[in-house]
Amino acid sequence: MRKHNNQPPRAAQKLLTLFLRNDLAEEVTGDLGERFNTMLTKRSPLRARFDYWMQVINYLRPFAIRKGRVQQIMHYAMMQNYFKVSWRNLVKYKAFSAINVFGLALAMSVCMLIILMVADQRRYDAFHEKGDRIYRITLSTNYATTPHPLAAAVKTEYTVAEETTVLVPGPAGDAVYQNKLAEMRGYFAEPSFFSVFSFALEKGDATTAMQQPYSAVISQELASQLYGDDDPIGKTFDFSDRQLSFPQEMDGIGAPPVSWGTFTVTGVLDESKYKSHLKFDVLMSASTQGPLLTSKKIEDHTNAWDWFYRPYTFVLLKEAKTLADLQNSLDDLAARTYTDKKNEQTKDLKFIPQKLSEVQLNLLGNDTNNRLPRVGYYFLIILASVIMLTACFNYTNLSVARALTRAKEIGVRKVTGAQRKSIIVQFLSESVLTSVMALIVAIGFLFLLAPAFKDLWLNKFLKFELPTTPGVYVIFLGFALIIGLVAGIYPAFYLSKYNPIKALKNLGNSQRGKLGLRKMLSVSQFVISLFFITTAILVYRQFSYYMQFDYGFKTENIVNVELQGMDYEKLKHELSSIPEVTNISATDIIPATGTNNGMEIKKSGTQDEYIQTSILQTDEHFLDNLEVKIIAGKNLPPREQGSNSIVISQKAVQKLGFQRAQDAVGQIVEARWSNEQLVITGVFEDFTYRMLINTREIHPITLRNQPAAFQYANVKIASRDLMGTVKKLEAQWKKIDPVHPFKYEFFDQQMASMQQGIFDLVTILGFIAFLAIVISCLGLLGMATYTTERRTKEIGIRKVLGAADFTIARLLSREFMVMLLLAICIGVPLSYFINNMWLRQLTNRVEFDVTTALAGVFVLLAFGILTVGSQTFRASRINPVKSLKSE
Amino acid sequence: MIETRLGEFEEVILLLTGILGEEAYSFKIAEEFESQTKRSVSIGAVHSTLNRLEEKGFLTSKVGNATAERGGRRKRIYTITAYGKRALESARDLRMSLYNQFPAFAGKVDFGFGGL
Repeated sequence: MRKHNNQPPRAAQKLLTLFLRNDLAEEVTGDLGERFNTMLTKRSPLRARFDYWMQVINYLRPFAIRKGRVQQIMHYAMMQNYFKVSWRNLVKYKAFSAINVFGLALAMSVCMLIILMVADQRRYDAFHEKGDRIYRITLSTNYATTPHPLAAAVKTEYTVAEETTVLVPGPAGDAVYQNKLAEMRGYFAEPSFFSVFSFALEKGDATTAMQQPYSAVISQELASQLYGDDDPIGKTFDFSDRQLSFPQEMDGIGAPPVSWGTFTVTGVLDESKYKSHLKFDVLMSASTQGPLLTSKKIEDHTNAWDWFYRPYTFVLLKEAKTLADLQNSLDDLAARTYTDKKNEQTKDLKFIPQKLSEVQLNLLGNDTNNRLPRVGYYFLIILASVIMLTACFNYTNLSVARALTRAKEIGVRKVTGAQRKSIIVQFLSESVLTSVMALIVAIGFLFLLAPAFKDLWLNKFLKFELPTTPGVYVIFLGFALIIGLVAGIYPAFYLSKYNPIKALKNLGNSQRGKLGLRKMLSVSQFVISLFFITTAILVYRQFSYYMQFDYGFKTENIVNVELQGMDYEKLKHELSSIPEVTNISATDIIPATGTNNGMEIKKSGTQDEYIQTSILQTDEHFLDNLEVKIIAGKNLPPREQGSNSIVISQKAVQKLGFQRAQDAVGQIVEARWSNEQLVITGVFEDFTYRMLINTREIHPITLRNQPAAFQYANVKIASRDLMGTVKKLEAQWKKIDPVHPFKYEFFDQQMASMQQGIFDLVTILGFIAFLAIVISCLGLLGMATYTTERRTKEIGIRKVLGAADFTIARLLSREFMVMLLLAICIGVPLSYFINNMWLRQLTNRVEFDVTTALAGVFVLLAFGILTVGSQTFRASRINPVKSLKSE
Repeated sequence: MIETRLGEFEEVILLLTGILGEEAYSFKIAEEFESQTKRSVSIGAVHSTLNRLEEKGFLTSKVGNATAERGGRRKRIYTITAYGKRALESARDLRMSLYNQFPAFAGKVDFGFGGL
């Protein structure tokens, strides 16, 4: 203890050396030490120690404090030198630089594609001048639509909103002007629409355009279709609504035309100028709804707080108000409105404001346009980051592996006075230089990748345009810098750690220690590759399984013709006159293409539970046409003989609780809600009616004959020349309906296109798998090249002593083969586990079997062995005389 | 333009440097300051002033010998320059003339520096 007390406090000394200028260190510590000793002779050790502390603290003066080093390392000349040396290094080791640049560029191009996608979506609705104050109100149940009265309530009962506006999808039908017809779909809009949004009118006055009932603002395209070169303002058109699908494909079922009257054009809007999530051909003044409601031409929801499936509400916030103010008002409104705690649908309902700029990136239910949902971005970002990470591993691995070559340089730099920080900066500048070069190559790749992505089937719906703007390039550059830092950070810290004396004296020893890490990175690269390969194979097998799936009905040679409101019997009559047409039937829904109507039935007069069944409205030829067998009873009777007849599927028989199909025939069931009594006339074989991807099991189906509901005619053709026959069908159609275009699809193609999305997934995954394996192999190539180069002498000696080429190749490859095998051992179970997580969600699925695993392993080994083999065989064939002579 | 006038503390430190001669290094000067003025001072403060005076050209320094009580570390010895002496002289002259003009002290001032 005493001995300890005779020394100045260590912590104080440490503190002193921490901040004191180096050239003062000796004299100051001397002075302070002398003082401490003098103090010890006069006072207590405690007092002396305290005094020492005070003395040290008193040295915290500007003159004595060491100047920061930051200024020193940022010297321009030094930076220049770093880049010069980096450049020379890149040029000197061309093969390694090429591997690094190429690998990084591949991965970067994928990431850049995603940056482009997000940037593309951010451009939506960017043109609104008050855009930062516009919010779309959504429901807490993830619907983009809200009750109709909401907009008015927010405006009048609260002070947050400068303006509100509500858009109701409504008009979707035909406009006629002097025998010219145009299809138009759009919204009912209030006059406030134009004060909230910044859509400008090409012609007409935006402030008054939506004032009067029966006013319409139409798109430039419609204007030229209807009025040609004439000035459309003040012109009229007659509108018949056909309930066409709007705003999205599935919104709307189509109906016979209902005349809404004559509308006056008050404005023309050039839609092509605006990139918005709101797309429309026509805006009709909201006041038009009044007369239409009175004449019962549209349903009245204007005061319904519990009906929220169509109107879109937008709020323009006052400048002084915040999002929190809006949320408070909306919460208050919801609490006051939805007081009925028994109503399941509305009791916990909340209104959630969504910033206009975020609308496009957040897909909700009932939304206005098709776009990639947020989870899609997450999925792509995860894929891209994994690939990017593999590419960064390559850089790390190759840099660390080549540490030996660089050790001398580091040693010399350190001996001549470089601090560790400077070396770190030097290596980082090298990696940043590499990644910037990779960026240039990646931009090249991107120009190939972006069009390929846009050609995907999915993009027909997502409508990515992916233009490259200067702003995007700035983001790219920033991205490249970050990647450079990420890739270079580990090598920089690792290489700068070298002790200069060791580095200069003994070059051989520093290699072995870190081999573990490098192997680990390589193995994880191959695990990732293997995972992607097997997943791609699996998804492809799932895809072809779906394509070959037996739905239980035949779709070959059937053309589905959209009725578009036309009378089915009339069309049937016309089409039957074509000799190639062998059968025609009618239906309201095309089975297994995603749409489903439900009905609940039970045995009449019993207390049984209602059972869920799908309901299809078809005529009596439908089952016959699709070659579905009737196994008991009779087919549906023609319309005239009774509309209360139904036929049901075997599954429905079973669910209803009948023993045999025969027992159900002639029985009466009652439908829930409508309480109709329906007679079962027959039972048919089960078929798959829902889309495969969401089928849990075969579902009960009921068929009923109600011609008013028919939407499609299923025309069976017996002909070699299918397209020729379709032409004939079209000619017949034109005879009875010259205005509407003939719309048809081949049934089998329609079914196949349901799986098209999965095929796109296969394409994306396959591409990612390909990138992963290529990048991993590039890394492997680099490592193999380097190892064989380092061992040239050893190989020479071995050969001189009589080793065969093959033995040497095996010796050199062994290390890499072990890595590949390890990757397989980890990768196969991992892939099995992860893929089974999604596979288990599907009812109709393929299994992750041995074949899939073997195929994946085979691809991995083929690539791996090819890469390593190319290097090792080259090395083993070198003439030992040459390799031993060189040095 | 470096400030050439001396502050009170600077003046005393400069004088002590002259008094201590070959023993004029930070620790000794600080010790001497404390014993002569009965005011406590840190070595850091003295060192800082010495540094400043050297920058102004009133002092020069050289590295001296190591001694055992310093743990073998060398010390920095300060010496007054001719310029430093002149600065002291002009400070003293200014004071003398001021004291002489003050009637209460006029003619009977004993200019001992220890009385500061």
